[in-house]
Order: sequence, then C-alpha cells, then structure tokens
Amino acid sequence: MNSLVSRRAMLAGSGVMAASIATGVAAARILPSAMVPLIGPGYRPVDVDERGLWQQYARVEEEIAGSNLLIKDQALTRYLGDLIGKVGGPAAKDMRIYLARIPDFNAVMFPTGFAVVFSGLLLRMRNEAQLAGVVAHESGHFLRKHQIRQWRDMRRKTDIFSILAMGVGVAGAGAGVYIGDLAQLGQLGTILSLLQYNRTLEAEADAMGARLLAENGYPPVEMANTWQQLIDEEKLSAKYRRKRRRRDISLFSTHPAPEARMADLKVSARELTVPGRVYDDGRERYLRAIGDIRSMLLDDQVKLNDPGASQYIINTLAKDGWNGLLRFYEGEIWRLRNRAGDQLRAAQGYAAAVAYPDAPPDAWRWHGFMLFKQGRTAEGRVALTRYLAMKPNAPDAPFVRQMLAQPEPLR
Amino acid sequence: MRVVAFALAVSLSLSACVQTRQYADLQFTPPQGDYKLIVMRPDVSVGSVTTGGMVEPRADWTEAARANLIAALKAQQAGRGGNARILSRRDELTQVSAENVAELERLHAAVGNSIALHKYLGAYLPTKRRRGLDYTLGADAVSFGRATGYDYALFMYAEDKFVSTGRVALGVLGVAGCIIGFCAPMGGGGQFAYASLVDLKTGEVVWFNVLQTGSQVAGIKFGDIRTPEGAAQMVERLLGRMKPGRDIRRAMDARP
Repeated sequence: MNSLVSRRAMLAGSGVMAASIATGVAAARILPSAMVPLIGPGYRPVDVDERGLWQQYARVEEEIAGSNLLIKDQALTRYLGDLIGKVGGPAAKDMRIYLARIPDFNAVMFPTGFAVVFSGLLLRMRNEAQLAGVVAHESGHFLRKHQIRQWRDMRRKTDIFSILAMGVGVAGAGAGVYIGDLAQLGQLGTILSLLQYNRTLEAEADAMGARLLAENGYPPVEMANTWQQLIDEEKLSAKYRRKRRRRDISLFSTHPAPEARMADLKVSARELTVPGRVYDDGRERYLRAIGDIRSMLLDDQVKLNDPGASQYIINTLAKDGWNGLLRFYEGEIWRLRNRAGDQLRAAQGYAAAVAYPDAPPDAWRWHGFMLFKQGRTAEGRVALTRYLAMKPNAPDAPFVRQMLAQPEPLR
Repeated sequence: MRVVAFALAVSLSLSACVQTRQYADLQFTPPQGDYKLIVMRPDVSVGSVTTGGMVEPRADWTEAARANLIAALKAQQAGRGGNARILSRRDELTQVSAENVAELERLHAAVGNSIALHKYLGAYLPTKRRRGLDYTLGADAVSFGRATGYDYALFMYAEDKFVSTGRVALGVLGVAGCIIGFCAPMGGGGQFAYASLVDLKTGEVVWFNVLQTGSQVAGIKFGDIRTPEGAAQMVERLLGRMKPGRDIRRAMDARP
C-alpha cells in the first residue's frame, strides 16, 4: 500500500515538475510593445492589501534614507534623481533613488517607488545608457505594480495549497493512507510556481525597461550589453578561482538566467531601434557625474580580492580608453592577490599608470616602492618625491620623508 | 526593531496562553513620581493571517492600534505620576538631530538583539548569570538624556494578527480531522510585543519585557489592540507590573 502511494505521489510530483519545466525554460519573450504602465503620475494605493504594504514600507524607506551606507554626494544624488525622472515613465516624478556604498552589481525597487542602487553598479556601467537601462528596469517593477501582484500571487497560491493539503490530508486519513509525501511534493510545486511568476515579472521589467530606454533616446541594445558584461565577469571570476561559473537551475531561481535575459533583450532592442534615429549613450555625461567617486568605486572593488572580476571590470572600462586610474587599480589587483609573480605584474601596472597625466598620487607611491624593491633606488626616489609633492599631508608622508632622507647605500 | 522582534518571537513557544517574561537591572526601581519618559517611535503592526498562513499588513488597523496604544501608554504613565512623550518622527526633537535619534535607535536594536539572544533564546552567558539585566547603551544615551532632559527612554514594538475567515474554516476542518486521525490545528493569530526601558542618567537598559499571546486554534483571541480596551490591556500586560531588581527586592524584604 505504502509503495503504491509513493509511486502515485512520484507521478503527481513529476507531473508538476514537468509542467514547471515546460513553462519555466521555454518562457516566451515578453514584447516591449505589450508593456503598458499600470499606474499614472501621483499614484496612491487604494486596495486594502496594497495600502498595508505601503504603510509598512514607509518605515523601511525612512530607515534607508537615514542609513550611513548611503553615498551623500549631492551632485551625484541629483544626477541619479534626474535619471530616474527621465526614464521613469509616467511615475518618473514620484520615484526616489538612493545610492548605497555596496561593491556589488545590484539595484532594488521597493513597492512604494523608491529604489536603492548599489555603488558596484555605477562602477560597472560604461555609459549613461547602461545605467539608465538598469534604472528603467527597476522603474518597470513599479510601473507594472510587480510587488503587489507578486504578493497577491503568493497569497492565492499558498491559500490554494493549504486548502488542497488539508482536503487531501483529511481524505487520505479517511481512507487510511498517509499523504505526507504527496503534500510535500505539492508544496514544491507551489514554490516552483511562485518562482516562475517571479521570473515572468523580471522579464516584464526587462521589456518595460527596454521600451523606456528607447523612448528616451538611449540605444536600447545597451541593456543587452550590460548582461553580456555580467556573464563574462562571472565567467572570468570563476576561472581565476579555478571554478566553473555557477549556473542556477532556472527552475529554482527568482530571476531568469542572464543568458536568456540577454538574448531576449537583444531581440527587443532590434525591435525598438528606429532606423535613422540618433541614439546617445551619454558616456561623457556619465563619466563627469561619477568622476569624484570613481577611484573609491575601484578601490572598493579591488579590495574584494576577486581578481577575475576586478580584471574583467577594468578591462571593460578600458575599452573606452586606458587612463592612470584604471592602470593603477590594475596594479592593485595583483598586489592584493600576492601570489608568485604578482608583484612584478603589480609593478608593471604602476609603471604604466604613472605614464598618464591623471595618475593618482598612490600610483606614484607604489611605483616608487616597487622601484626600491627592484634596487632602482634613484628612480624610486624621484617617484616618491613626486608622491609627496602631490599629497604632502598623506598619512605616511613622514615615513616616506624619512626614507628619502636616508643616504643612498654604497654599492 | 523588527529584527529584534523576530528573534524574540521565536523564543516563546506558541501555545494557547498569555505569557510575559521580564528582566531587570539588579538595582532597578520602577519609575515613580515626577519623571519624564520619551517613547522612541513605537513600532506597531497589525495584519490579517491569510488562509495559507501569510500575514497581510493592514494600514487602517495599524493606525487604529497605534493611536490606541499611545493613548493607553500616556494614561498609564500619568497614573504613576510620569510625563510621557511619544516621538513619532526622528526629526521632532529640537535639541537632538534626526541622525542622532537614528543612531540611538540602531544602537538599541543591536543591544536588544543581544538581550534577545542571551536572555530569551537560550544562549545564556556564564558571565551574566545572576546579574539581572546587565546591558547598556553607554555614553550616547546619557548625552541624549542630557540634551533632551528626559529621564527614561522606552523602546516598544507591538504586533497583532487576526486570523481570516478562510483560515478559521480551515482550522475547524483540521481539528475535526482529529476524529479520523488527521490532526492539523492551525494557529497564526495572536499578539507579540516587547518593551525596553533605558535609564538616560546612566545609559543602562534597566528593564526588558516580552509579551506573547496566541493560540494553536485559529480564531481564539486574547485581546484586540485595535480597540481602546484591547490596547489598554496590552499596555497593562506589558508595562503594568514592573518588578524591581533583585537587590532592591531583597532590601525591601529585609525591612521589617
């Protein structure tokens, strides 16, 4: 009897799995043209459940707005606010954006229309269009009311599951059969279906975002490029750690696979690009906006000691041209990894950095130290003197001065 | 505040009853007479439990409960001779900036987590045995008290959950199933609250209490903080019987 039930349970379970796989993997692309914003300007929730959600998040926003993780650079904050005000569709003027100092590729939209952008995102974007793409994607979540739709979906499915589980349990007990296994498989089915819904909403936000991007004169293909960059970065990061890039089984993930998103976005971009129209990726504007914090962003990244990812990011940014800052942090990657031969690579990075007029003082500092280590003390002295001239109040300036005051050792 | 609440909620087992468990500093004497108390942005949340067991927050219920709790709290403190002020926004105080209020709140959240972990969740510390409540917010709380002129700060969290009709029906079915050998009682409703009293003269957390009410059977209630009576009942359960610290109790007992 027992084996019969579990076989039946298995069958039911595999049915659920098969259905989920069928819908999960072969999900059709969502057309940008079908993505109409569901809310207008000045939106306020009316339904009971959504009002409850908004009230809860008011406190969350207060907490985030006062967080000491936020980067409070006024010009940059204004720039981000203007950007969401540009690509935010009908709700553009209602949305808020906070920049958190977290060196990771992420951005989050909350149900009440405020977004948190991680500083690691700003580092990775090559131009304004790429950033606008992410911001537009997040706006898409708000414009399409994703959080409340997700909540309702979850409520409906857990309700149905509870009722079914109870019904099946009582019926099974009446017939004298244990149904626990079956109920567990049913639960798995419910969870899988929730994740599937989540992936659908992400795909919707991608389509909505691509549309907003194109409507505002940005090249829509930049969204697909962002995903290509993420995939390649993960690959290189894994390779340097002698691992393979982790690929979630799409059945169990909340977001569609980056490959699938990229492929869909490429098709959508082709669809949205109007021949003959001039698109502006806003690279100059973007670099001006993040100019003041770019070295901090690079610093945070290299200190993660993820050389594959750091190397990929720097090489990607350098496609638009090398400069002293990028070369310096390239050197930092290897100095911080500190394996055999890395010191030489670091020294090469610093030497390359100081050839640029915009080399940061620390590039001269490390260039000097590396020259000393190689026994090229005369050149090292020149570099360190240059460092002191650029940063006379550096924390280690007295030590460096003392070092320079030592007489040249006799050979 | 939510994080502390979550940790604490795990600690008390859910059974059909009203429970409180309080700890006090050894030297603690409950505030009496002419004292000034500031209640730091009481965090209140009221929701309904869906058939599937999720908690759906309700804005109107939460607003009503918050107003009732605040009124009950003020009345209770006035009855003891104290003067309670409720802080509803961080930027309300003229003497202290919103950032400082936020920092004090975060500091309390961290200390409150430690209290939850080491006093309620079972990770008892040998160094803190028999020492009552031995936690402090330190100099920041003292300077906050000096700047604002308050004697005590109270941190408070309260939640109440009401079981939806669908879940009650399902619960009835689950209990009825017991007759044929399939018992699936469904709880979910109930109250949870904690209060933490900080002496702003010393910076110490002098008193801490956790309240939980709940039932394994859906639909049985132990109060309703959406009503003035229910809110007064919760405030009474949570803050009504403040026990003095051990040293003070002994001194009182020693007196003839």
